Amino acid sequence: MVYREMSDKVEYIRRFSLYRIVEHLVLIALFVVLAVTGLSQKFHALGISQSIIIALGGVDSVRFLHHVAGVFFTALALQHILANFSVIVFRQGEPSMLITVKDAQDALHNVRYYLGLADQPVMCDRYSYKEKFIYWLILLGGIQQIITGFILWFPVAATKYLPGQFIPAAKAVHTNEAMLIFLLMAIWHIYDSMFSPEVFPLNKSIFTGYAERRPETQEKNSGNGQG
Amino acid sequence: MIGVVLLACLMLPGAGAFAQDGAGEQEKKQCLKCHGEQGSVKKFPDGDFVSTYVDAHALDRSVHRSLRCTSCHKEFTNQRHPDRAFRNKLQFRIKESHGCRDCHAEGTIKSRAIHEALFKKEEAGEAVVCANCHSAHAVTHIAGGNVSKSEEKYCLRCHASEKKMVFRSGESVSTRVKLAELQGSPHRNVGCSDCHFGFSSEEHPRRQFRSERQYRLSSSEICRRCHFDMYTKAAEGIHYAMLSVGKLEAPTCIDCHGGHAISSLGNNRLAVVQKCKTCHSEVYEVYARSVHGGALFKENNKDVPICTDCHSSHGIKDPSLPEFHDTIPDTCSKCHSNAVLMGKYGLSTEVVKTYLTDFHGVTLGLYQKEQKESPERYRPDRPMAVCTDCHGTHGIAAVSGAGVQALKKTLLKRCQTCHRNATENFPDAWLSHYKPSLTNAPLVFIVEQFYKIMMPLMVVGLLFQVFLHIWRYLVNR
Repeated sequence: MVYREMSDKVEYIRRFSLYRIVEHLVLIALFVVLAVTGLSQKFHALGISQSIIIALGGVDSVRFLHHVAGVFFTALALQHILANFSVIVFRQGEPSMLITVKDAQDALHNVRYYLGLADQPVMCDRYSYKEKFIYWLILLGGIQQIITGFILWFPVAATKYLPGQFIPAAKAVHTNEAMLIFLLMAIWHIYDSMFSPEVFPLNKSIFTGYAERRPETQEKNSGNGQG
Repeated sequence: MIGVVLLACLMLPGAGAFAQDGAGEQEKKQCLKCHGEQGSVKKFPDGDFVSTYVDAHALDRSVHRSLRCTSCHKEFTNQRHPDRAFRNKLQFRIKESHGCRDCHAEGTIKSRAIHEALFKKEEAGEAVVCANCHSAHAVTHIAGGNVSKSEEKYCLRCHASEKKMVFRSGESVSTRVKLAELQGSPHRNVGCSDCHFGFSSEEHPRRQFRSERQYRLSSSEICRRCHFDMYTKAAEGIHYAMLSVGKLEAPTCIDCHGGHAISSLGNNRLAVVQKCKTCHSEVYEVYARSVHGGALFKENNKDVPICTDCHSSHGIKDPSLPEFHDTIPDTCSKCHSNAVLMGKYGLSTEVVKTYLTDFHGVTLGLYQKEQKESPERYRPDRPMAVCTDCHGTHGIAAVSGAGVQALKKTLLKRCQTCHRNATENFPDAWLSHYKPSLTNAPLVFIVEQFYKIMMPLMVVGLLFQVFLHIWRYLVNR
């Protein structure tokens, strides 16, 4: 374990490498661009959406930005999948993001704790079930958005191989999944890393790379941030 | 008596345009052979005399210019020139004045206050001579002279009969006004001079036009004085734009509405279409075969759109402009989003909604918004498909009844206008105005239903977690 003394009382652990910090920052930037340019199209009838669209130079520009951000997001997702695939295949680290039975048990235990049926909150692994849930929703949802996004971007090419109905279906998936991811971010991720009483006003670990050692977290791997 | 002579004058068509009939012209020439020479006089026994000279130029400018010589000088003909004896000049003049009353009825003359004193004199035995005030051959309008109680009657004294207005091009138009047409028109209570500004019982200016078209264009300007709103709209339209670049065949007010038999055309939808056909016969043929035109001509259906419903009547926009193209969904939705109207024919109003919520409709709506906000920056990447791009314009055919395969084939061709490499799968990307259901686009329907259930479940679940967490935190404190 790599500990770092930041004060007498609080222990800090190295949680994220610079690579992960940068990856997260890029993801935030792309997420904001995709959400702004995407949701303003989804809710095009709202005044604020129209203001955004006009401020960005019209719906053609908005779509252009969305496509460009989408391409970067695709690149980000691909490198993430390849990098982690190699980590797992070549056993360079532990697959700490894989969902295990313990995650389900942890979630149930915590609900019991919140309801007052258990004395202590659960001791999670390196990443809690909440963090894993968000991670996989973003990753799988992201892949889904990439596929449907490209179908929508190139409908003529897509219908060379797919039935025509896949285009409106892809649109339904793309627009709903986007909303789902957005709500997940807005409700849970933002709460969990900003407004949650334990971390308020901000859990800085993803920006600094260091995390407070919290009672519900038992760090067990070597904290190289590659997990 | 004074204005009396005038009465006739005015009827005389103003424009040099009224051509006397050939015989009249010949008669005049013959009379002027002698009477056009200065110097000859008619002598009276008392030694007095009167010149027999007639100033042909003055006669031509007079209000009587279209009358024949023998119209007033009734005792004379080409063959007969009686030698009349008069005691003196006065007797001669009185005799000649009687001729005026053949046309200018006494009642009409009396109706003018200025003649009142003259009639009193006449009753007292004094002679009254019209030409004293109005002159004889050079009879002209007198300002403030006779105004007919009924201007219409007054003008129709001349304009009821067939006369021609001749243009420099050699063309001519009849100046005849059919009273029945006038009385049947919405203008029946409008006086002649209300439209024919500058013409009155006092004035009848002579105008010269190069051609009939020039004359008609000029006549259309008349309408502006009252119908300024329509005139302004028309001035923004394509027909006016054509005129302004010298395409004189473009229609003006009277070409569509007519002149004295004017009609608003508003209620006669068939007539409107026929009017447009005058120039747009090719479009008319296509329209007549369409679902709209067919219903109009076969059933006289009043619900189907006619030319003006889509193109408007006065401010007609150039249909080749993007601005026109982009407003087509609004045009079609005037009827196709009217549930009562569509209900009559078993048509769905969803067509408009489904278009507006789909890619093309949404994009077009945003383009229009952008154009409104910053017209100078408005540069859409490409035109968006609107109703007519898939359904056709004038030749719109009914979709119901047509075979699905045939429709798809046509649709693919339409899609390929913009999506060049589209394959036969492509048209299915458009749900043909249908809402997704288990029978229609089931895949889309299932996806939508899945998210309809998933989304609230997830949100409620997440919020539940958040509230529990906060609650536990507060309890622990």
